[in-house]
Amino acid sequence: MKHIFNSYENVNNTARNDSDCPRVVLPEEIFFTISIVGVLENLIVLLAVFKNKNLQAPMYFFICSLAISDMLGSLYKILENILIILRNVGYLKLRGSLETTADDIIDSLFILSLLGSIFSLSVIAADRYITIFHALQYHSIVTMRRTVVVLAVIWTFCTGSGIAMVIFSHHVPTVITFTSLFPLMLVFILCLYVHMFLLARSHTRKISTLPRANMKGAITLTILLGVFIFCWAPFVLHILLMTFCPSNPYCACYMSLFQVNGMLIMCNAVIDPFIYAFRSQELRDAFKKMIFCSRYR
Amino acid sequence: MNWPNDRLEMSAQRLISNRTSQQSASNSDYTWEYEYYEIGPVSFEGLKAHKYSIVIGFWVGLAVFVIFMFFVLTLLTKTGAPHQDNAESSEKRFRMNSFVSDFGRPLEPDKVFSRQGNEESRSLFHCYINEVERLDKVKACHQTTALDSDVQLQEAIRSTGQPEEELNRLMKFDIPNFVNTDQNSFGEDDLLISEPPIVLETKPLSQTSHKDLN
Repeated sequence: MKHIFNSYENVNNTARNDSDCPRVVLPEEIFFTISIVGVLENLIVLLAVFKNKNLQAPMYFFICSLAISDMLGSLYKILENILIILRNVGYLKLRGSLETTADDIIDSLFILSLLGSIFSLSVIAADRYITIFHALQYHSIVTMRRTVVVLAVIWTFCTGSGIAMVIFSHHVPTVITFTSLFPLMLVFILCLYVHMFLLARSHTRKISTLPRANMKGAITLTILLGVFIFCWAPFVLHILLMTFCPSNPYCACYMSLFQVNGMLIMCNAVIDPFIYAFRSQELRDAFKKMIFCSRYR
Repeated sequence: MNWPNDRLEMSAQRLISNRTSQQSASNSDYTWEYEYYEIGPVSFEGLKAHKYSIVIGFWVGLAVFVIFMFFVLTLLTKTGAPHQDNAESSEKRFRMNSFVSDFGRPLEPDKVFSRQGNEESRSLFHCYINEVERLDKVKACHQTTALDSDVQLQEAIRSTGQPEEELNRLMKFDIPNFVNTDQNSFGEDDLLISEPPIVLETKPLSQTSHKDLN
């Protein structure tokens, strides 16, 4: 944001330098649309799991956790836009204490959503890993009670971290902690999925030599990890650059794309239901049942 | 995403553009107000590389990484050449094929049997895993699954001692796509992770066998 003021100062005070990186501004409507679509999609996932007894299994609870964090992220964007509109119209003061408090709360909501997403994805990968490698003990390892406990611990930790990070947001260790979560989690998920993939490959090798079967697994994995990387890495890099080289012109040019990076996170909230929740036939059937039942009522 | 950028970012942007057009005297006020976030003007003079070099480099690097990951995964699939036939591996293969052949019977592709299909495939999956780990249990699974009708199969599964509730629980969880397939969706979605277990239909054995492990 510092660079934003810098660039505007340049605009206001001096003649515009052609080598400036102008800030890329996306229309508010795009953010609104993507956020609303994200909220609706994840709400559908939550409703489908909530209404169906046979979907109330640990695996679907983890997917619900992911849906909740995506929904919070989209809600954050909607609330922020509403706040900005209210400020522009004049209902809110620029630096009133109420506004800064509202800003703080909304920002902690955002961090909560980010951390929730990260931990939900990790826990989904771990659950699948246990399904594959400890299939027979799965139901004794992943009980409903443990699921609820794990999710409660994760969300409590995320809430606490979100509040702490907002309070200490201008300190470097906070930023380092936050940005290091991303590669750590990426490596964790990568290891789990690659190990699962290797096992599937060795099974396929024994039974069938059709390469297409394994190709599907490779494509699936690439999509899972690729979407995660593409949606999160730009924003994480933005935070790093903003903390460590805000005055560097190269960094400033990267940071001028802040809204694009933010939109990618919104897109992640929209894409996640399709690659996690709606991949399950049972959930798709439950969803269709919901739609058709409501249509025929 | 105003965090970690200034939370007043967007409103500041508009306010600046509004007010600077009206009054220039308040510039100093703005300078002071935002001084907390000020670092200093960014100088774009004397850049050696293109100003968007970090952006371009980052995205290219990201794309290369993902494509590299994909190629590594596909290479892993291609280097998985079938083992040379020795007695043991051929026996294993025979058992797995016979598993599959038991499930390759034509079933009616309607929802009545989908649950049974779930049970069968869950037991198949479990037999599957067992077969890799311990060869003995293959026999037990083999016996329970070598039945002619679905009803008999269900009874056999139930008679292995699993409680009904456990069976229902087994039916609930979805197994990642690597080790089972839903034949219904074989043509539709290739990229599934959480697929329900096998629902067997009137398909030839060869399709069945490799779909099982999709």
